Amino acid sequence: MRKLYRFLVRVGALASKETIHIRRDVRTLYMALGLPVVLLLLFGFGVSFDIDSIPLAVVDHDRTRASLELRRTFVASDDFRLVALLDDAEDAEPLFQRGRVMALLVIPPGYERAVAHGETVTVQLVLDGTDANTANMARGKAEGMALGVNLEIVRAATSGVVAGAPLGASIWTRFNPEGRSALFLVPGLIAYILAIVAVLLTSLTVAREWERGSMEQLFATPVGRLEIILGKLLPYLCIGLVAVLMVLTVGAWVFDVPVRGDLTVLAIGSFLFLIGMLGLGLLISVLTRNQLVATQAAFLSSMLPTLLLSNFIFPVENMPTILQWLSRIIPARYYIEVLRGVLLRGNGYAELWPDLLVLLGFSALMITVSAARFTRRLA
Amino acid sequence: MSGEHPIVVTSLTKRFGAFTAVDSVDFHVEKGEIFGYLGANGAGKSTTIRMLCGLLAPSGGDAVVNGHRISRDPEGVKSSIGYMSQRFSLYLDLPVEFNLDFFGGAYGLRGAAFRSRKQEILELTGLVDRRHSTTGTLPGGLRQRLALGAALLHRPRIVFLDEPTAGVDPASRRDFWRLIRDLSEGGTTVFVTTHYMDEAEFCHRVGLMVAGRLVALDTPAGLKAQFVPGHMLSVTGRDLAGTTTAVRGLPGVLAAEVFGAGLRLRLAEGEADPGAVRAALEAAGARELRFEPVPATLEDVFLAVVAGHERHQKDAE
Repeated sequence: MRKLYRFLVRVGALASKETIHIRRDVRTLYMALGLPVVLLLLFGFGVSFDIDSIPLAVVDHDRTRASLELRRTFVASDDFRLVALLDDAEDAEPLFQRGRVMALLVIPPGYERAVAHGETVTVQLVLDGTDANTANMARGKAEGMALGVNLEIVRAATSGVVAGAPLGASIWTRFNPEGRSALFLVPGLIAYILAIVAVLLTSLTVAREWERGSMEQLFATPVGRLEIILGKLLPYLCIGLVAVLMVLTVGAWVFDVPVRGDLTVLAIGSFLFLIGMLGLGLLISVLTRNQLVATQAAFLSSMLPTLLLSNFIFPVENMPTILQWLSRIIPARYYIEVLRGVLLRGNGYAELWPDLLVLLGFSALMITVSAARFTRRLA
Repeated sequence: MSGEHPIVVTSLTKRFGAFTAVDSVDFHVEKGEIFGYLGANGAGKSTTIRMLCGLLAPSGGDAVVNGHRISRDPEGVKSSIGYMSQRFSLYLDLPVEFNLDFFGGAYGLRGAAFRSRKQEILELTGLVDRRHSTTGTLPGGLRQRLALGAALLHRPRIVFLDEPTAGVDPASRRDFWRLIRDLSEGGTTVFVTTHYMDEAEFCHRVGLMVAGRLVALDTPAGLKAQFVPGHMLSVTGRDLAGTTTAVRGLPGVLAAEVFGAGLRLRLAEGEADPGAVRAALEAAGARELRFEPVPATLEDVFLAVVAGHERHQKDAE
């Protein structure tokens, strides 16, 4: 009991010292609380895969009521914006080259006649594939519109009596029906931002003590390694949890990210992820003993993997096998799974327990390894 | 033996790779003693003190500090001693009082007993009025006193001070040494390293480190008698530059060194002839000579020991 009491006194002393450091150095608080929100707003508004109005050129060889109708359908949606009406498809080439148009619609002669006779007619859509993502979306939208036009024609041909859709696909997008990229991005962003901030926060603290020489004084006291690690971790954990709440609030408020699942799963996931990332920062700090190197290592170890290998933006399934394996050791991948699960899919423990388990293992590993690598003797 | 002496050191050695920083050192320290550890930078003072505080593992030999063996039980050593490291290592961005709170907590102290101890320390170090000041705003002398205060919070029976007055003005140094004497009179054993020779005079016993070896250990008076026998003579006058060689060979002249604008001679008791010295200096061109007997200092001891050690090294090669 006496041992435990002393342990708690020492952890308490370290944690309150760290808290006062943080309170006296407001930059830490700005970084911990302000930066995530600013980043979320920047990324949330700035990084968007939603396409509004792709510049479109049209070559209408038919020039009839029906072809005009088709053109209007394209332009009436906000997805395409008519920038040029050309006589010949060749004329579109320079516009493509200069990036003035990204899509070209070619309506063949005899379009109206073919439609009226119920014959198949092929309308050509040429897309600029430089931005593959935009091109894909444009293609999807155009196909959707063509389907709509088809249905109209069929309906008109059967004189208003709909005997079931004759052909065509039925597409149902669940969880994010409008396909808003904010819904997809914000959960990933939360993980990304927390990863960077958490690792940065703690990676500096131990290194700072080494540089100041206060670590030597600390080692001359009976304070143990685990006590130093916990004392450093606790204050930042509290700050990190506040940051999670702020980012979630901003996400829900500004970007209308829903919360459909079990919030306790999200709370536990965030808690474990934070401990893990803060622990990683400590480990870096323990190993480098130098603030500059620690900062660089922190960025490399948190930002890049979280950005590239966590399903945040780039789907892991499309990656080479080796990268897929590598992504399995990126904790952010599991946290993003938890975030998307709870926020978008309405998941609970039943679906997300494996991810929580991985996060638990990761945080335990980080604390153990940093405490073990923390030599309390000098040199 | 270890029951009587708070510090007993036997064949203590520390090697860093091929470099031997501390080479088989033996000594003990008495209870309540102010034990000075003197040496040039890099002589192995800090390495010794860090080993004795349980911060560095020895490569050979051992030491018993407060009954704890440093090789086996560094944690036991740590909780029973106070240590003030060479660099100022409290938190400059925190208030004075909070530094004490923190180190109190690090020693597991809290509650009413700790608060009254903290008050005692603030009074002892004369920091009561500055308790709310940010530590970084204190002048060097006060910072050092605060660091000492932090090392005394848990009432250690031994304190280790590694160059506690480095870079502090002379008046503050005197105040600091008054504190050290008070501690020693109260029964606390003080182990202090320094390279200020005048400070070493305040120590009960002084150990001299040269290149990792403890080459001399005695009271300041004993060291002077052993290494700088005879009496010291200060010579002032004009055109004394370059005259040391003229007197060095004379009978009874043990040493002649340039000292400021003058000379310092050490003469063997009863053997030297002051008249012959004067004549030799005047023959070398010096004028208006004045002779004055001066007491030997530990600096003289240090120079004599280092010179002797260097001669010894040369002979060995």
